Amino acid sequence: MSDLTPERYLAMYRDMHRIRKFETALELEFKRGNVPGMLHTGLGQEATQVAIAHTLRTVDGLFPDHRCHGLLFLKGTPGKLIMAELFGKATGICSGKGGSLHSADATVNNFGDNSIEGSFMVTALGVALGWKMQGEDRLVAVMVGDGTSGRGEWHESMNLASVWKAPVLYCCVNNGYAISTAVGFSHATENLVDFATGYKIPAEQVDGNDLPAAFAATQRAAEHIRSGKGPYFLEYKTWRWQGLFKGEFRPPEEVQYWKVEHEPIKLAREDLLQREWASEDALDQIAQEVDEEIEGWVKFAMESPSPDPNKATANVYAGWEDVQP
Amino acid sequence: MTIMTTVQAINDALGVKMAEDKSVYLLGEDIGWMGGDFGVTRGLYDEFGGERVRDTPLSEAAIIGAAVGSAMVGMRPVAEIMFADFLTECYDQLVNNAAKMHYMFDGQFRAPIVVRAACGGGFGGGPHHSQQAEGWFMNVPGMVMVAPTNPYDTKGMLIASIEDDNPILFLEHKALYGKKMEVPEGKYTVPLRKAKVAREGKDVTIVTAMKNVYDALAAAEKAAAEDISVEVIDLRTIRPWDRETVLNSIRKTGRAIVVTESPKTGGLAADLSAVISEEAFGDLKAPVARVCGLDTPIPFSLPLEKVILPDENKVLAAIKAQMKG
Ligand SMILES: Cc1ncc(C[n+]2csc(CCOP(=O)(O)OP(=O)(O)O)c2C)c(N)n1
Ligand SMILES: [Mg+2]
Repeated sequence: MSDLTPERYLAMYRDMHRIRKFETALELEFKRGNVPGMLHTGLGQEATQVAIAHTLRTVDGLFPDHRCHGLLFLKGTPGKLIMAELFGKATGICSGKGGSLHSADATVNNFGDNSIEGSFMVTALGVALGWKMQGEDRLVAVMVGDGTSGRGEWHESMNLASVWKAPVLYCCVNNGYAISTAVGFSHATENLVDFATGYKIPAEQVDGNDLPAAFAATQRAAEHIRSGKGPYFLEYKTWRWQGLFKGEFRPPEEVQYWKVEHEPIKLAREDLLQREWASEDALDQIAQEVDEEIEGWVKFAMESPSPDPNKATANVYAGWEDVQP
Repeated sequence: MTIMTTVQAINDALGVKMAEDKSVYLLGEDIGWMGGDFGVTRGLYDEFGGERVRDTPLSEAAIIGAAVGSAMVGMRPVAEIMFADFLTECYDQLVNNAAKMHYMFDGQFRAPIVVRAACGGGFGGGPHHSQQAEGWFMNVPGMVMVAPTNPYDTKGMLIASIEDDNPILFLEHKALYGKKMEVPEGKYTVPLRKAKVAREGKDVTIVTAMKNVYDALAAAEKAAAEDISVEVIDLRTIRPWDRETVLNSIRKTGRAIVVTESPKTGGLAADLSAVISEEAFGDLKAPVARVCGLDTPIPFSLPLEKVILPDENKVLAAIKAQMKG
């Protein structure tokens, strides 16, 4: 279990900025028409993602959800390869075949998102089962939204992970809504830990915008899993900046609270200053360095070639390139 | 050589692979100490233990999800879906995840799973225990369907399927479980994607699979008495099917009948007849004929079921009609 040292805290602070900058740059390029498809961002949820990233080792598995661009590069994939994938370029981590919703990197045990929301709850169970059967000391984190807790796979996965004592870290990102539907309106509970305790999985609720709290909870969960006791369920209470495709739909007081008063980077900054672990100047410096780094990734993606059309039919089957698609 | 039923041949193939390769394991409902609804896994639990012969709850999505996830990290799962009708319960896992994985992540991950499922009607199983499922998967790039017709092919093709790197639906027709023949002990394989000429002939070709191969052979025998020489092709692999063997035969005979137990519209028969018409139109002396299950659910009562499903007499009538054409 890692303690929250000044070095760790500052590295996490930097990573929150990297996510913030990555998503902001991406939104801009999306509006400019350089990023095809649909866009979901992790803006506002940086602390939760960073707490998870700083707990997972490279050998651990990750199933990122649709708001996890940041986690993709924090898991170890060079950020420019993620950016290029989102631009649909040949240099992308999946050669442009996956995009934002399917960016996997086998070399760092990122198993990719599955945009049939919640379906990969059972895939994560399978990875955990496989590693357990192989005697591997690894855990698998699966990111899943509150709006997905109605899916059958949620429940099938948790039941069997509990029975099999599978090393799954369920990271439930409760940002209050599916697309427009409030979690308490469409589920039997708005505290999603209730589901987990029903399956006899140890569960905790944590403020997902409070970085030290989210980090400590994630560390506790990982320690539990690594000691061989089976799955753990964490519900991170957070809030996404992105509203509906058409704009903001949530009450102004709610927006004010989450986006201004309880905004995760602001909270971390105040906390770091209060602990006297960094100066204002040092923190400003971090933000500036990050800006340059991410601009470099955007430039790489912009300048990368599009995929070769001849590759459109490649890799449908494993080892059967002779089958005519 | 030992005389084995199809059930014993499947059991033997599983035992051979489990003894040889520690990554091979089984999961499904009631497959453990009980040995499965059809007795296919009988004895394997005693031999290999509950870790490798895993009883699951009625969670078809989790069965396939766990299989896929574990396969992504090097396991070789063989999942049993008790009745093919229940494949709809894990359709998403197969269609959107297993079958797309190799393509969407551009070859970084594979899903080498085998999903065994008992299919087919003719025994009063009614609308939810009689289905032929292949039509549901014909339209799924990346999916493989294997459906042998005798114990020898079944054992060899199941071993080949477990060793293959693609997701494979291994369809076992219930009417063929009791078929008996000599089967070699130990390991051997029968290649995937190769159809077999089950009977040679020169006047008309019947292309079919599973239980209907026996209907076609019986009809061919009767037709021979009337001097009609019928060639019968047992597809053995349904998707992707062996174009070369099928088209060569039709170029030789100039007449084609396709027979499937599944409904006529939009399935295997539709695909076979479309490709035959596209590729061998110039060689055809008559339009391709289809003898298929009618476009209805499968009724419970046996006299009603008989109306719906193809049989030897319906195939014989089609042979005679072809020869007039
Ligand atoms: C099975 C499935 N149903 C519906 C959708 C469409 N959809 C995409 S995201 C979403 C809402 C998900 O809400 P939540 O899990 O809370 O994630 P959030 O976007 O709030 O982070 C919906 C309905 C989908 N992708 N998959
Ligand atoms: Mg949500």
